[in-house]
Amino acid sequence: MWFMQTWIEELLLENKMNERAFDNSHYNGDTAFRVRIRRFGALVGRLCANPTTVIGLIIIGLMMAMAIFAPWITEANVPDPYQMPRDWGAVRKPPGTPGFLLGTTNEGGDVFYGVVWGSRTSLQLSLYVVGSTMIIGTIIGSLAGLLGGWVDEFLMRLVDVFLSIPELIFALAIAAVLGPSFTNIIIALSMVIWVKYARIMRAQVLQVKQNEYVEAAKVIGDTKLNIYLKDILPNAVTPVTVQATLDMGNVVLIGATLSFIGLSEAGIAEWGVLVSEGQAGIASGRWWASTFPGMMIFLWALAFNLVGDGLRDALDPRTEGR
Amino acid sequence: MMLDTSNQKKFVAKVDDLKVYFNSKRGTVHAVDGISFDVYKGETLGLVGETGCGKSVTGRSFLQLLPIPPGVLVGGSIIYNQQNNSSQRFETGSKPGFPNSRNFEFKKVDLLTLTGEEIRKIRGDSIAMIFQDPGKSLNPTLTIGAQLSEVFLQHRTEEILEMAGLGSEASGAIRRFASQRNRIFDKWLVNLSGNRSTKSRVEKAVADLVAKALSDTQVPNPVKLMDRYPHELSGGMKQRVMIAQALACNPDILIADEPTTALDVTVEARILDLIQELQQRRQTSVVYISHDLSLVRRICDRVAVMYAGRIVEIGTNNEIFKNPRHPYTIGLMKALPSADTARGELLAIPGNVPELINPPQMCRFFSRCAFATDKCKNQDPELEKVTNSHSVACFADVAEISGK
Amino acid sequence: MNSKKDNVGQPILSISEVTKHYPIREGALQRVVGHVRAVDGVSFDIFPGKTVGLVGESGCGKSTLGKVVSGLTDPTSGSVSYNFNNQLVSISNLEKNKFKNFRRNCQMVFQDSFASLNPRHLVCDIVGRPLKVYKEVSGYDLVEKVVSLLNQVGLGREHLYRYPHQFSGGQRQRISIARALALNPEIIILDEPTSALDVSVQAQILNLLNEIQKARNLAYLFVTHDLSVVRHMADSLVVMYLGKIAEAGETQAIFAKPYHPYTKALMDAKPSFDEGQNSKAKGLEGVVPDPARPPQGCRFHTRCSLATDKCGWEVDDVVRWLEDTPGMFESLTAVERKSEFSAVLSFSDESSAANLTQEMRSEKLPTSMRKALNQVKINEKNVQIEFEPVEEILLREKDGRHTACIIEPKN
Repeated sequence: MWFMQTWIEELLLENKMNERAFDNSHYNGDTAFRVRIRRFGALVGRLCANPTTVIGLIIIGLMMAMAIFAPWITEANVPDPYQMPRDWGAVRKPPGTPGFLLGTTNEGGDVFYGVVWGSRTSLQLSLYVVGSTMIIGTIIGSLAGLLGGWVDEFLMRLVDVFLSIPELIFALAIAAVLGPSFTNIIIALSMVIWVKYARIMRAQVLQVKQNEYVEAAKVIGDTKLNIYLKDILPNAVTPVTVQATLDMGNVVLIGATLSFIGLSEAGIAEWGVLVSEGQAGIASGRWWASTFPGMMIFLWALAFNLVGDGLRDALDPRTEGR
Repeated sequence: MMLDTSNQKKFVAKVDDLKVYFNSKRGTVHAVDGISFDVYKGETLGLVGETGCGKSVTGRSFLQLLPIPPGVLVGGSIIYNQQNNSSQRFETGSKPGFPNSRNFEFKKVDLLTLTGEEIRKIRGDSIAMIFQDPGKSLNPTLTIGAQLSEVFLQHRTEEILEMAGLGSEASGAIRRFASQRNRIFDKWLVNLSGNRSTKSRVEKAVADLVAKALSDTQVPNPVKLMDRYPHELSGGMKQRVMIAQALACNPDILIADEPTTALDVTVEARILDLIQELQQRRQTSVVYISHDLSLVRRICDRVAVMYAGRIVEIGTNNEIFKNPRHPYTIGLMKALPSADTARGELLAIPGNVPELINPPQMCRFFSRCAFATDKCKNQDPELEKVTNSHSVACFADVAEISGK
Repeated sequence: MNSKKDNVGQPILSISEVTKHYPIREGALQRVVGHVRAVDGVSFDIFPGKTVGLVGESGCGKSTLGKVVSGLTDPTSGSVSYNFNNQLVSISNLEKNKFKNFRRNCQMVFQDSFASLNPRHLVCDIVGRPLKVYKEVSGYDLVEKVVSLLNQVGLGREHLYRYPHQFSGGQRQRISIARALALNPEIIILDEPTSALDVSVQAQILNLLNEIQKARNLAYLFVTHDLSVVRHMADSLVVMYLGKIAEAGETQAIFAKPYHPYTKALMDAKPSFDEGQNSKAKGLEGVVPDPARPPQGCRFHTRCSLATDKCGWEVDDVVRWLEDTPGMFESLTAVERKSEFSAVLSFSDESSAANLTQEMRSEKLPTSMRKALNQVKINEKNVQIEFEPVEEILLREKDGRHTACIIEPKN
């Protein structure tokens, strides 16, 4: 990314400059690189000043660790690790049974395995969906906001059409048309969610481009692309970041809903599927097959919402740098 | 102007050692740090100073309009000397037997210690305020008439009932309706067929009062203006509406916080004329907060110069501007571009206003002062009298300064 | 248009007959229903090393004109010409290279120093950015160049790596000036550079601007509403009202004796500090008319205390007068215009119509307006009014000054 490049340039420059002596005694040895790191540190500091955010961060950290170290926590299923193992010799075992920490499902699937590998599926789901929609939404929103005129008119009417249908129902319809598979859930969610980012980004760009520093950059004679990348995008992207964090949780929630009603492959290690498969047993007292994956969904969504809220506060320009 | 010639000036408000601090992440900001002054009856007191000197905070303290927290009232008092001739203050006058709503039990009160209910009675009634941005002070969803009638209903209930030809025995619902303490049940009662004519009479009385208040501010066609929404009006017109609202109840004190800064000069002059005219007619004291020296020079009787949370000099208009004693006042006046300063030779005050976070015990102007001595570095100068009406907070030999 | 005889050499920038109209759009189809005439035919020259002051109230088009001159927006018609090697060339249709050259030589300082500095950039990014754009210097030399620029505006190396919000208003304005100086321009457009600052800081900035001007022979276009500042700063003055020049000429001469009633009104509204206590300030009646429908004749006639019957009274004036007269506007149902100067006003009842005719013939209507009335004819509920048509009042030259007023200045 372009700003990474500037940072690296500055880091190199810092080394070069440290070799020279300065004539000004007031100078306290700051460099652009150090100041930027400090600013980032201050942001992290503000983020961590809020206890609920810290709780969210810890939960996310644990979930991430679980996803990363899944093969070490429980042995991967062969041939497909994202498929639940089936041990027909140990069906409907309650939690605590040796070898099955959280019990087993009707088909003898280890719930613990589902919980652990499910975090990988969820992470994939949210990263793919949020990543792609954020990029698409940012590009389309920026185009609409920058170009204006009929481009804006056309893109925003398109967005309106998408927004007029409730998120869940729309995703459900797309997934149903595409056929039941986990990949199709990702596609369906991506098709539904990008509009939110486009909306936010357009509004932000419209607002930011009014600022006098954009005009100042024009007076300097900088190129349009540079003005967009240096002045408009960095100042417009904050709400998108916050929304993306919140969506990391929401996507898993909606994804689980879609899985729950059977729009992904049966037997996949996915929390929504597990809840769905286990719910029939709750009435007969086998609560564990649904409860543990359900809790994971809850924690995941909660954690990202906590962090998203904290991020919104920390990035609030009114608190920033004062 | 309305300068009282007798020695015994009657003060309407006495600010004593007012201290307002703000808590911030980096420390306590001493926004107003021990200021004292009197506001006399019928005078215009100018509060001048640069951005962040605490003039607006002082003004807002009068009506408890400060954001608390982060603001903290650390100490001091603002004694408000309630004027007791309230019955004469309405131009319409009120008959005996109609107890005036403005008659409080108190005569002298400390505005800072009043409860929410008590200060609400004072706000807009005995002490009113107008702000820099009239656009923001008006509710965009209400017509001008509706906003102004609220003030009248709130503070001039008795008079309205009288004008509507209703006795003080007017049924409770109407009375509560008039004083805007209505509940849903009251609204229903008021709208009952039996009450409708009385209600319309009350409304008519209020409309008349509003129209009169607006015509006092010299707006053309006040009746038409009442049906308009704030966004339909120009800045000058909005400020007139604000003035009508502020002066609706003949306040003792009008606090004007840079009311013309956002306006064009040609409009500013008209607004100032208006304020002065109304003030003289009603004997209102005006605390005029401004950063504009030439304006303050023009309209104020007395001037207090503020710097970094302190009053550095206070005196009558001529004393301050003809015979300034504080280096800051002198600096401010020399920094103004005038007809005969050569280009590029303005005498700017070097440096910037110091940060007010936990300021040290020294003269706050020290770092920018051309006459600073070691004494200024170690000691905080107090306001000291030069003449009976003129005080200055500076150690330096003022005569010597003026000579330079 | 500047006719100072001692001006040897060519102007650095010549503005001729510049207009800028913004379309007003309405409805679902965004149909253009009219134009806001922000700037409506303005011409003047800017000479090297001199300052032109552009004054007027809010909404008079001075900021729009500043943007047109700096090339930020294109004029609707007319042209801004820049001096390329003693040849004035319009900047609107320049080839890329030449426009870049103009861009470098014409910089701008904005009013709001907070809004005009990107809050996410460090001072070294902000001041060094123009140098990067034109690839003047890079790396270590860039930093040194930025430091030298900062030194010129009274800041130092210790300010290099700070964000704009860490500075006071005056310091931020210094940063803006340093940025404008980076490319060594020939002209800087100053859009109310000190109106957000305190007096003591304003003096610092004005002194700095003068110092820089002397050292670099810069030309300034100083856009402001503050007469005392412009009196101090400008060599020549352009007073604008509602998109047009009311008066232009040498600053000292104008201040000594304003020819245009509007210039006079501006000065009377804000007596300078020296004039002392109780100097009477005189404001103006009424509001600035809608720039989408500027008044005929002289645009100032609606508020002018000296207005005569030849100043361009028209139907709109009657409507405005009606609006401000209690009880009349409510019964007005339609205005059928035949031209700007003639129309039929329809009322809901005959008595109002009669009432209007009566009032229009009485003292209640301003005398000059009444004189300009050719006829008032009542026909049941309708009143036909007709004014003497008046041509637009153009700038006229007298003693090296240009004034758009038909009244001869008294001597």
